Amino acid sequence: MENVIELQHIQKSFNGFQIRDLSINVKKGFVTGFIGGNGAGKSTTIKMIMNLLQQDSGTISIFGKSYKKHEKEIKERIGFVYDENIFYENITLKDMKMIIKPAYKKWDDKKFQYYVEQFELPLNKNMKTFSKGMKMKASLAIALAHHAELIIMDEPTSGLDPIFRRELLNILHELMQDEDKTIFFSTHITTDLDRIADYITFIHNGQHIFTKEFYKIEEEYAIVKGTLDLLDCETEREFIALRKTNRGFEALTANKHRVATIFGDTVVVEKPTLEDIMYYTKKGW
Amino acid sequence: MQIIISNSSKEPIYEQIYAQIKKLILTGELQEGQSLPSMRQLAKDLEISVITTKRAYEELEKNGFIYSIVGKGSFISEQNTEMMKERKMKAIEEKLLVAIQNAKEMNISLVELKDMLTLLYTEDE
Amino acid sequence: MLNLILKDILIQKNILIIYIATIILYLMVNVSSVFIVFIYSIVFVLSAFSNDEKDNANILLNSLPYTRKEIVSSKYIGTLIFTGFFMFYTYLFDFLLNGKEVAVLWKEILLIMGLVMIVISFILPISYKFKTKYLTIFMMVSFAIYLVMVKSFFPNFNNLVKTVVQNFMTVQELQLYLIITLLIVLLYIGSWMLSIRIYERKAF
Repeated sequence: MENVIELQHIQKSFNGFQIRDLSINVKKGFVTGFIGGNGAGKSTTIKMIMNLLQQDSGTISIFGKSYKKHEKEIKERIGFVYDENIFYENITLKDMKMIIKPAYKKWDDKKFQYYVEQFELPLNKNMKTFSKGMKMKASLAIALAHHAELIIMDEPTSGLDPIFRRELLNILHELMQDEDKTIFFSTHITTDLDRIADYITFIHNGQHIFTKEFYKIEEEYAIVKGTLDLLDCETEREFIALRKTNRGFEALTANKHRVATIFGDTVVVEKPTLEDIMYYTKKGW
Repeated sequence: MQIIISNSSKEPIYEQIYAQIKKLILTGELQEGQSLPSMRQLAKDLEISVITTKRAYEELEKNGFIYSIVGKGSFISEQNTEMMKERKMKAIEEKLLVAIQNAKEMNISLVELKDMLTLLYTEDE
Repeated sequence: MLNLILKDILIQKNILIIYIATIILYLMVNVSSVFIVFIYSIVFVLSAFSNDEKDNANILLNSLPYTRKEIVSSKYIGTLIFTGFFMFYTYLFDFLLNGKEVAVLWKEILLIMGLVMIVISFILPISYKFKTKYLTIFMMVSFAIYLVMVKSFFPNFNNLVKTVVQNFMTVQELQLYLIITLLIVLLYIGSWMLSIRIYERKAF
């Protein structure tokens, strides 16, 4: 399967934290959710993918091309949504369009108009009157109007109400009807991912923990609950991290079947949420 | 084609899809050669990820229930109906064997049995 | 590239009227047109610059299909275009208001261009390296202070400037102009290259 984004052995020291030997692949035609706690390096990684930051070492290729030689060609095909405001605040969305439109060869005015209407965005109001959700929609309308093949979003749903988050997912589902489109987005609202993400890429402390098909996570990882007398040095090794209380233990394993054969019916095995995985991974680090 | 999935079920979503499509095929609601919605369309309709429907379709294909043509989509298999026919034939055979055995125990001749079968068969029509 | 230059005008369209009105005002109180063009060209460029900075537009511009080289170059080319525009506009109004029949001398054009290019050559690399937040305000304020000073303490200051300008205009040796022009152009290009280097290494 073709990779749209390939990061290989990326090292970067930035603002007092480090990304270490980060290698990530993002598959074409799918939605990849990018998760990790605050300060895990999600934004830094996205900025490097957008060439807003340069890595200290390692290679980045987008659509199989490097920024050194093909910067314009690559960016022509990327749509972006950022967590922070990137619009000139004292002009209208119409003016903003006038600035952005000539930058792209494949700009589609009709499509832009269509999404502006669908998202109910005012064309003649200053950008500074736009709420966060509206700015996000404006970014999305721009990304969709230039037929971006790769949509990169940094925390697109943070600060948005659940209704709009659901709407966004519908838009993304609509977009994914085209198998040449790829979406890569970071989020820490992991429930957003349940309905859309095909792959999950998880980073922690600037390091890549895993990239997996979403369903594989459920097949491999499990939350295990049981009484304390089941634990000893041997069995504890099966867990990424565990939490003991007077009432028993709760732990995360990355090898559900092995745990099932070791403990059998003496423990309760549950489906983990992404949050469980993030929480225990951080704990076990 | 209607599919109902449960997010709170212990059964993975792709298995739920697999089981429901399989059932629709076996009950004849989906017939040989009929096309299935594309993986992407189904994912959108069910509001689930593409890879989940992809997995379900892959399993269905592996077990001979559907086949796919690149660029055209997925269809209900024809071999599958023959397989099903064979299976049914076998089941009928087994039941007939039981009937024959019963007949023999009661000393009922083949002609009598045939008559009985013909009568029942035509009566049903 | 042209888009980026047009963008600098578009984002300032709301205050364009202020630029135009104040130029007329200054012309009415007889401020040297050389000086007006000089100041306004620089204020215009820096105001566009700080707008890019303030609204995170650098993130936007660098995410669009532009190279960093183009983004920096648009400022250097834009400076020349905007100066030309202000020159045309100021001389037009100077003629309409003050009835001066200034046959715009090539020496005067050279002088303004030269001054703008020298100042921009210093300001842009510094601005790319550091934040410009207060630069525009600083320039505006210093111009106002200058006016107050001139009006109240050195009534002859304008004449002084004019004399210097006159002297510059009357130098007859072509070679001297040529050498100065060449030096300024070299400075400008050097600054341009330096800004590209600074900007290419910048993190957003």
